[in-house]
Amino acid sequence: MKAEKKEKKYALYPGCIMPTEQYAYELSLREILPKLDIKIIDLEGFSCCSEPIKSVNQMLTLALSARNIAIAEKEKLDIFAPCPMCHLALSDCKKVLDSNPEMKEKVNNYLKEEGLKYTGNSDIISILDLLHDIIGIEKIKKQVKKPLNEIKIATHYGCHLIRPSELGRPDDSENPQKIENILKAIGAKTEYYPEKLDCCGALLSANLPDSALTKTGQKLKSVQELGFDAFVDTCPWCHRQYDARQEKAGSIIAAKLQVPVFYLTQLLGISFGISEEKLGLNLNQSPTETIKGEKP
Amino acid sequence: MSNKIGVFVCHCGINISSTVDIKKLVEYAKKLDGVIVSKEYKYMCSDVGANLIKDTIKKNKLDGVVIACCSPRMHEHTFQGVVEDGGVNAFNLEIANIREQCSWAHENKEDATTKAKALLRGAVAKAKLLEPLQTSTIKVTPKAVVVGGGISGIQSALDLAEEGHKVYLIEKTPSLGGRMAQLDKTFPTLDCSGCILTPKMMEIANHPNIELLTYSEIKNVEGSIGNYTIKVNKKARFVDIDKCTGCGDCVTACRLKDRITSEFDEGIGKRSAIYMPFPQAVPLKCTIDKDTCLMLTRGKCGTGPLCVDACEANAINFKQKDEEIELKAGAIVVATGYDLINPDSLYEYGYNNSKDVITTMQMERLINSSGPTKGEILKPSDGKKPKSITYILCVGSRDETECTWCCRIGCMSALKHVYLLKEKLGDEVEINICYTDIRSFGKGYEEFYHKIRGMKTNFFRGRPSEVKTNKDCLTIDIFDTTTNKLFEIKSDLVVLVPALIPRTDTADFARKLHISQGPDGFLLEAHPKLKPVDTFTGGVFIAGCCQAPKDIQDSVAQASGAAARAANILSKKELEAEPLVSYVDEDLCSGCATCISICPYSAIELIKEENGKSHAKVNEALCMGCGSCVGACPSGAMQQKGFKDKQLIPMIDETI
Amino acid sequence: MTITDLTSMGKSQTEIRKEINERLKKLQNEISDYCYQCAKCTSGCEAHKLLELEPHKIVALTKRGLIDEMINSDVIWTCMSCFKCRERCPQKVAPVEILFALKNMAVASGKQIPGNYTAMLQSVLSIGLLQDIKNVTTKNNKSINRNDLNLPEISKPTDPTKFQTILSKLAVEKI
Repeated sequence: MKAEKKEKKYALYPGCIMPTEQYAYELSLREILPKLDIKIIDLEGFSCCSEPIKSVNQMLTLALSARNIAIAEKEKLDIFAPCPMCHLALSDCKKVLDSNPEMKEKVNNYLKEEGLKYTGNSDIISILDLLHDIIGIEKIKKQVKKPLNEIKIATHYGCHLIRPSELGRPDDSENPQKIENILKAIGAKTEYYPEKLDCCGALLSANLPDSALTKTGQKLKSVQELGFDAFVDTCPWCHRQYDARQEKAGSIIAAKLQVPVFYLTQLLGISFGISEEKLGLNLNQSPTETIKGEKP
Repeated sequence: MSNKIGVFVCHCGINISSTVDIKKLVEYAKKLDGVIVSKEYKYMCSDVGANLIKDTIKKNKLDGVVIACCSPRMHEHTFQGVVEDGGVNAFNLEIANIREQCSWAHENKEDATTKAKALLRGAVAKAKLLEPLQTSTIKVTPKAVVVGGGISGIQSALDLAEEGHKVYLIEKTPSLGGRMAQLDKTFPTLDCSGCILTPKMMEIANHPNIELLTYSEIKNVEGSIGNYTIKVNKKARFVDIDKCTGCGDCVTACRLKDRITSEFDEGIGKRSAIYMPFPQAVPLKCTIDKDTCLMLTRGKCGTGPLCVDACEANAINFKQKDEEIELKAGAIVVATGYDLINPDSLYEYGYNNSKDVITTMQMERLINSSGPTKGEILKPSDGKKPKSITYILCVGSRDETECTWCCRIGCMSALKHVYLLKEKLGDEVEINICYTDIRSFGKGYEEFYHKIRGMKTNFFRGRPSEVKTNKDCLTIDIFDTTTNKLFEIKSDLVVLVPALIPRTDTADFARKLHISQGPDGFLLEAHPKLKPVDTFTGGVFIAGCCQAPKDIQDSVAQASGAAARAANILSKKELEAEPLVSYVDEDLCSGCATCISICPYSAIELIKEENGKSHAKVNEALCMGCGSCVGACPSGAMQQKGFKDKQLIPMIDETI
Repeated sequence: MTITDLTSMGKSQTEIRKEINERLKKLQNEISDYCYQCAKCTSGCEAHKLLELEPHKIVALTKRGLIDEMINSDVIWTCMSCFKCRERCPQKVAPVEILFALKNMAVASGKQIPGNYTAMLQSVLSIGLLQDIKNVTTKNNKSINRNDLNLPEISKPTDPTKFQTILSKLAVEKI
């Protein structure tokens, strides 16, 4: 009798920002997922999900999201979308097309050109679904070699990961706790703070970049004033605002911001004992070196 | 058997005549076998219509009547009276529903008329085979059961008792009083709630016609109008109420004093395991909570139960058992009240994150001088006096994702609190009210709102999106549509006005009493306008908030209404029983008892015969004529008078 | 019979309002008519504090059919799509979705697309992604990009011509 395969396979849908700019996210998740028995399959032909340009043309977003799902469906794979904005685009598209056969036919008419067809057979998984529900806390705990020394971390879920709840999102929209659960499993401390559900402002950076940075700066300022040791996020857009643009945000709101900002996958990697370079920690722009894992 | 049938077709104004061709129908009727006369009129249910029917019966010596009109649920009873007056037995009447089942359901005039003809054909075919029936009578048990000891139940019980009927008042908690006992003052008169309630509670306790059963719950209800058998579980208090003097020494002595969350204080106060719900409780007896008492849950309480030592009357009895009681009654009034929504389902308002976010009922307990803070308004987090209090109305009400209905009392409760809080904390306390509408619809309500507007209250017309818990205060952002500005309110205390919801065990309870719930979960009235206290089950009436959210005066009015409806039954020695009951052909019956397992009214029993066989027998007093047994009977032995197979089958054949 | 807004002399555009409602129904199964102006959306709007966006007003103007006024304004482009309004509305109205419809209509009617959107759109047209591979600075002040890292080739549409054909057709397609 064949032994049951422990490894789960997913087609990685990388989106746009992660592969072209937020390299640390991709590096860190490619490092930790094999340790948790997850195999990532890279497919050719993906394009932007178009959620960020939904304001310009929503039909485009619908069709391009369907196109990307169809590519994975062709290989009979479920899709893992690490970027919450992509995850929302794909999930929303799936809901609309699965419940509206007229729309589905309309969209498939366009996909025909590239020999693609949306069928609705693939599931769309987010980073939280993967880490918390599919892999599970127990498995994560087993990999922890250097617990995070009780550092107090402010969790940032962002907007697209938890809203709108009627689509079925990976965590509760008013009291999300999955990142807290994962952080506890790797030895960190978490705490409620009033700005927890506030938006990073990223989508405004297309036309109102200073306003976007004001939003970013205000949240970081509160986190800093409340005495948190670090800040964690799971979205390339949020991370770009909080990490890469922290200094600029600080100058817009006239405050000195010194908040270490990590991807959740990076923190996991640190606790698993993986080297800083492999996790892309040298690419974080915020002062992440002030946090050390447990002394060996 | 009729062969001189008169057909009467009603226009129902234009309700029927605009879609069904009445003239064609009347002509068609004349040609049907058995019909000797056919007439029409605009409103058959009017005096003129009734007289037309009666005169036609007398003139043509009819022995059967078919009326083609609206649903029998509307006027069958009326028309039965009319034909009896004319000289035809009420059960030789058949109604063809050509309104709800025809003209109201279709648009095409030709098709609708064809269908009406088919319905008429069937009705006539059945009418030919109907037999005259006599109504029987059922004896009425001249006692009432009132379920629920809040103000509605109290009012109904007193009204019925004053009329001379014996009443059993059953209350689930250890004392009478319900929600009104939890309140401090009532709007708009600002009467002290306890002061106007307790005299009524005393009246109940002292009334010779009322037997009070507190700490008791309904287990089972059987029977039908005029003859209900109700099994009640009298829960064990573990205190002998004949000995207990209500002195309260045991409460002070209890090892778990102030450790258990008090339900009466809505979770904002604490009590002991042995407790008196509130100082004016009726009966004034202590009760032991079997889920928290150490003796009852673990078998030991330290070196010995302290309550027993403290009790001079020796009233504590840990061996007491629940008691099952059987009551007989002719009518039941249900007045079981309401629950409040758990504000956690609107998590954004911070009820879970901060001790200083409370509900109106919790604030009411703080204001009440017999509450957990003895009437002092103190922040639950640090016991200090609040300088600023913000009310958020409509939490969970008028909400498509929670309760779609308006809670009806929220606006007035909040306004009442403004008055009481200014009285207790002084004029300088800042009170903010965040409202969507102020519904001050009742007598004296608008005048009360006027008074509060003159009391330096900050009204914000808008709804906050969230309540943020900061280290030293609560922060609320609210957009005020009157000034079109966004305000940030920093407040010490936030009070949420929650939606009113049906009691959480309503589904179970409704099933026990054979009554229905509406789509919102509240108990369903027979007609929202004309029968607000009746249910669809004969003999069971509803009053107060168990039917829908309402204030005290409407509850009391409804309670008196329900009592009057119940007295309607109890004041009669006998009731007319509808003869459309089932009966068994004993020769055909094999005793399989399928009907017995199906009958929702437990109206059928199995009779053993001498030769070892058995057959079913219907108790006509209990049978409600639902027909389920007829459908279930595999041999056709069970038939229903007025709906026999040999009457229905020709009807079906003719219709199609 | 007509209804005229005397402030702007704008007339009620009931056809367009119907169109918006139909589009919302197709995409989420809810329409905008049930709003009772409680303003919970605006109280919690992430954009309102900085930028004067009032989601409840957008819904009210839509109900009134004064669509042109909004399409020609800048305020509709201040929404940051945080979805809090849709999440918390007690009547299941989604101002954020109405705003997407209005923005789409503004673009379709030829209004200039603000900010970086044009650039992002152009990029998607040519390489299938919002932006091309960027250089970033490491903590050691080195400038690197994806090609310097141990990562697989970036995923892009395999046949750019076919991809662009689809996009140009989609650009004029209505929901």
